[in-house]
Amino acid sequence: MEMRAISKRFGEIQALDDVSLDLLPGEIHALLGENGAGKSTLIKVMTGVVQPDIGDILIDGQPVHIGSAFDAQTYAVAAIYQEPMVFPDLTVAENIFIGHRDRGRVVNRRAMRKEAEEVLGRLGVRLDVQAPASALTLAEQQTVEIAKALSLNVRVLIMDEPTASLSAHEVAQLFGIIRLLRSEGVAILFISHRLEEVFAQADRITIMRDGAWVSSSPRAELSIEEAIRRMVGREVVEFYKRVESMPGEVILQVEDLGVEGAFEGVSFELRRGEVLGFAGLVGARRTDVGLALFGIHPADTGRIILDGHEVRIKNSHDALALGIAYATEDRRGLGLIFNQSISANITLPSLDRYLDRFGLIRRAMERATAMDYRERLSIRAPSVETPASSLSGGNQQKVVLSKWLDTKPRILVLDEPTRGIDVGAKVEVHHLIDELVKQGIAIILISSDLPELLPMSDRILIMREGRQMDIVDARATTQEAILAQAMGQAETLSRVSGTAR
Amino acid sequence: MTDALMRRLRPSQVRELITLMIIIGLVIFFATQIDNYLSGRTFNRITTDFPIIAVVAVGQLLVVLTRNLDLSVGSQVALVAWSSGWIATEAPGLHPLLLVAVAMGMGMIMGGINGFIVAYGRVPAIITTLATLAIYRSFLITIAEAQTITTRGLPEWMVNFPGTTLVSVEGFDLRLIFLVTLLVVAVVQLLITYLPYGRRLFAIGSNPDAARMAGLPIQRDVLLAYLGCGALAGLGGLMQMAKFGTITVDSARGLELAVIAAVVVGGANIFGGSGSAIGVLLGAVLISILDQSLNRWIGISDFQRDFMLGLLILLAVASDVFVSGRLQKQWLRARRREEARAAPPGAQAGVSDG
Repeated sequence: MEMRAISKRFGEIQALDDVSLDLLPGEIHALLGENGAGKSTLIKVMTGVVQPDIGDILIDGQPVHIGSAFDAQTYAVAAIYQEPMVFPDLTVAENIFIGHRDRGRVVNRRAMRKEAEEVLGRLGVRLDVQAPASALTLAEQQTVEIAKALSLNVRVLIMDEPTASLSAHEVAQLFGIIRLLRSEGVAILFISHRLEEVFAQADRITIMRDGAWVSSSPRAELSIEEAIRRMVGREVVEFYKRVESMPGEVILQVEDLGVEGAFEGVSFELRRGEVLGFAGLVGARRTDVGLALFGIHPADTGRIILDGHEVRIKNSHDALALGIAYATEDRRGLGLIFNQSISANITLPSLDRYLDRFGLIRRAMERATAMDYRERLSIRAPSVETPASSLSGGNQQKVVLSKWLDTKPRILVLDEPTRGIDVGAKVEVHHLIDELVKQGIAIILISSDLPELLPMSDRILIMREGRQMDIVDARATTQEAILAQAMGQAETLSRVSGTAR
Repeated sequence: MTDALMRRLRPSQVRELITLMIIIGLVIFFATQIDNYLSGRTFNRITTDFPIIAVVAVGQLLVVLTRNLDLSVGSQVALVAWSSGWIATEAPGLHPLLLVAVAMGMGMIMGGINGFIVAYGRVPAIITTLATLAIYRSFLITIAEAQTITTRGLPEWMVNFPGTTLVSVEGFDLRLIFLVTLLVVAVVQLLITYLPYGRRLFAIGSNPDAARMAGLPIQRDVLLAYLGCGALAGLGGLMQMAKFGTITVDSARGLELAVIAAVVVGGANIFGGSGSAIGVLLGAVLISILDQSLNRWIGISDFQRDFMLGLLILLAVASDVFVSGRLQKQWLRARRREEARAAPPGAQAGVSDG
């Protein structure tokens, strides 16, 4: 399979820019890149979920059109994701054969069970094929997906972070299966944030950055240090530089915070007028820390100390009362009431301040506040009565920020505040952060964009797979050093040479 | 739709205007078909017929706004109608307002049970209220012991209530029941517009996840919506009692169909987050006019009436999907043109220049 000069745009974002990639039969090919490098989009193009704007896909040298998941199946291309997409209520056997369309109209259950056992046997796995998929572990569900792909005589198998939620033992088993498939001539493309895995298993490694292809090389010709450098390789210069500020006294102390099944052992201090950056890759569980502080998924273990007093945050109402606000990464799902006006969205959590003595909403006051924010954050909208649904991503984000600012927080958690918005709006958000810090608000900035995180933060907390790796001074570190820690390569830290800053 | 009009009306108001125009169209149509249609008699019939549907439907609206549903309102109305009739018969001296309070209180108990199960028990609303639809009705059958409440035992004021007229102009009566209904609609409309609680109902219905993130007390608010719905079902029950005088255990069976029809015909989104009490009022009026007029025109049976209601619900919801989207787009376009014309940013739309 070969991808030639693929480009894809989503609105303002160039997700893929002239990317080429070839997969050979019987090779394990790893795809590396930071969050947002375009890896997932590339996979979606290969599996027919997304159509490229430009570019060709070739299979056995013949140009093909993959317009749907069904087409992908026809060309024997299959993909497996971090979260297995099995049907929980169907049995293992039914799951394996769900995609088959050549089996006649009536299900022959006995034949199906027998074949399912055969396919699993080829993978060297024993599973009860009559058990419902919901009774399996994640690793077993993945095996079922691989078996499904195998039963379709797959020639190209794409795996998007298949190991992210597996234990070490399960990972070893998975790679056993992958090597088996390789020996049968299947081309395997896999994405992983675990560099040691990539360097142990892959035959070739392709690196992407900002939607563009950077390099493809045999494993032997690439070092971990070089790979990290190629993944980062961006300059910070054009980004906003924060005005120097002096953080004040400590207002928040978090000790050994944990949420069952998400993260554990997170400890940090936050000062007035400080920006604490949270760095990490997909699956680092940074968002879960934010949600715990905001009471959406309250912490199971550890202590939260605000102004020297231990507090319990059981829901978002508690958090808001304590002056903690959290601007979500998921604007569409969690941030906005789409069919309501900008002003109604902004005042929603703080509506109690807009009541007259009869307990009715003072609309004029509400409008005035909304217009104030519109001015301050330059929200571009015909009026504050415009429904939130009709705004562009950047302006929606500004409405979300206005909403949380209007709760007058002392601590503001910003989760990917600039994801998916254009450069102009980005700079405006950075400017706003600067202004808030000057007012003494403490900010936790979760961002996957290192060239943004480094200059915006005072200190950076690095997470990896639910664990806190380190807290570093943002002025004394480099993108490479952070990425190395986020990928579990702390020991290579000292060996990484050259700085991007 | 002209620009000037589009600019001044919000999409939801346009939607209400459309319902109003359909009502006017229907009246004109029936006037050509039925002799002596535009008379006080028709007016009086309709203004005594739609109030029960309207009052109960406005309560239903509160629940629908939160992306829930109360299918048990028919049973609630029947139970309250029978019980309040029984109370009025047993204690004829009871002050009317006290009886109103008792009726609404009974409704609130039933609504509260629904709301509690839905909000705190997390049982889907459609299942909960389908179950209580049956349970409340069986409860009525048990307590009623096949007894029917009749006008004979009722106090005078109650028997006279549906016909109680404040002013009458050339046969067009302004009846108390009509006035009470308008009052209920107005109060609910103001509450959902100006109370923070109303704002929260819309927020919860259109995006429950975002509402939770904003720290809103979702469970409590949903329970309150059911309480309000129950209270208005109780009031509707009292009206039912007064209107028919005779209440059997089968009273108000299938009322939920007309009520939900009124809600969706009135433009409320069945998936929550949008709707207005005024729209629901118009929906109830529309249903009542169709019902009464078709009966006089071709003489429809109860089965045909249900067919009509079913069709109305389907048409309303199906057309909503596309009418609303289109209205919204047009409105925005009009606002943008306005914006372009009024050059300085910050100028408010709505100031017409012709």
